[in-house]
Amino acid sequence: MQHRHLLPNEIDLLLDGEVGFGVAPLRAHVDDCAECRARLDEARVVADALERLPHFVPRSGFADRVMAQVQVVEPWHVAALATARRFVPESRPLRALALAGAGLASVVISASAVWLAFSADLGFKSASFIATRARGAMVDAAGHLFETAFGSGAADAVRTNGSMALAVGVVALVAAVGAAAFGFRALATASRQRGS
Amino acid sequence: MAPPTLDLANLPDADVARLAQQGREPAFRELVRRYERPVFSLVFRMVRDTATAEDLAQDTFIKVLNHIDKYRSEFKFSSWLFKIANNVAIDHLRRRQLDTISMDGSPNASTAADIEATRFDIADKSESALDEMEAKELGSEIERAIGALRPEYRSCIMLRHVEGRSYEEIAATLDLPLGTVKTYIHRARHQLREALEHLRE
Repeated sequence: MQHRHLLPNEIDLLLDGEVGFGVAPLRAHVDDCAECRARLDEARVVADALERLPHFVPRSGFADRVMAQVQVVEPWHVAALATARRFVPESRPLRALALAGAGLASVVISASAVWLAFSADLGFKSASFIATRARGAMVDAAGHLFETAFGSGAADAVRTNGSMALAVGVVALVAAVGAAAFGFRALATASRQRGS
Repeated sequence: MAPPTLDLANLPDADVARLAQQGREPAFRELVRRYERPVFSLVFRMVRDTATAEDLAQDTFIKVLNHIDKYRSEFKFSSWLFKIANNVAIDHLRRRQLDTISMDGSPNASTAADIEATRFDIADKSESALDEMEAKELGSEIERAIGALRPEYRSCIMLRHVEGRSYEEIAATLDLPLGTVKTYIHRARHQLREALEHLRE
């Protein structure tokens, strides 16, 4: 038992109904000490009066006035879910049917996607094969044309020396065409002078 | 398929707040219905003026409901609400420097309705006429004594005794250390006892 009067914070502990090892001696002291009991009773009267204080009521229509200034926002995922929910039938058999239909549709869509992907791959392979064959045919045709125009010697030189010989051949051709053009132009000018 | 109808009145605060976060207007209204009186009472006892208290309580709900997406369910909804209500009231008192409170209730009460709103009424309690009279006298005295407390003591004592919050909850609600809350409540009780001492004599 305590041999001194309770401190204000100890009165508070009892007032708050605290329990525990340290509170028991305080209770024992209050049971034996009239002065501390009177202080606790006095504190209790105030606490009880506080606890009996009523809630005040705002004017009627308070909620409406609040709601008039509140923005009720529906998040997109909730809106999406609500929209999806509207398409779900009410009755159980119809829901089962709809579920089966949705399952079938998802299977069909998945299969179509796989088929499309496979077909695209097949198409790509076919296209690249055709392109390779066409390129080979064009190169052969160009080779024949070159041989016809410049003779088999030039064609052999190009085949033997590769792109360098082709470049030299092209430069020589351009130079020959240029020289021929210049020669024709000089002849035409000379015949016009003679005529006049 | 129509969304399931919910009995909002029987749901805990966290569930109603979650529904409000999903944009359900009835959930917003339910939160207002549950807390309009506690919030209005807390704010009224802080500012001691009906019209101002109503404006501030309205501001509190508008702030809370417009930011309902920020609410996290691991905290008590009411603690969040009271925290904002208290901040709104304290901000108002700071702006208006209304720390000196009239002992006669609202300084702006001009109509009978305002005066009535500031009066303490416990007529619904089943007590004898004498007890009722004494309780009424103590009630109005205690309201005046609360009005004379410092605002921070006032909010602590209201949350503790009128709203029945624990010290820890009050500390979390008011963003104060636990020791400070205990000190404020202890001092407030002491001041109230002193203010009401004359009634015992």
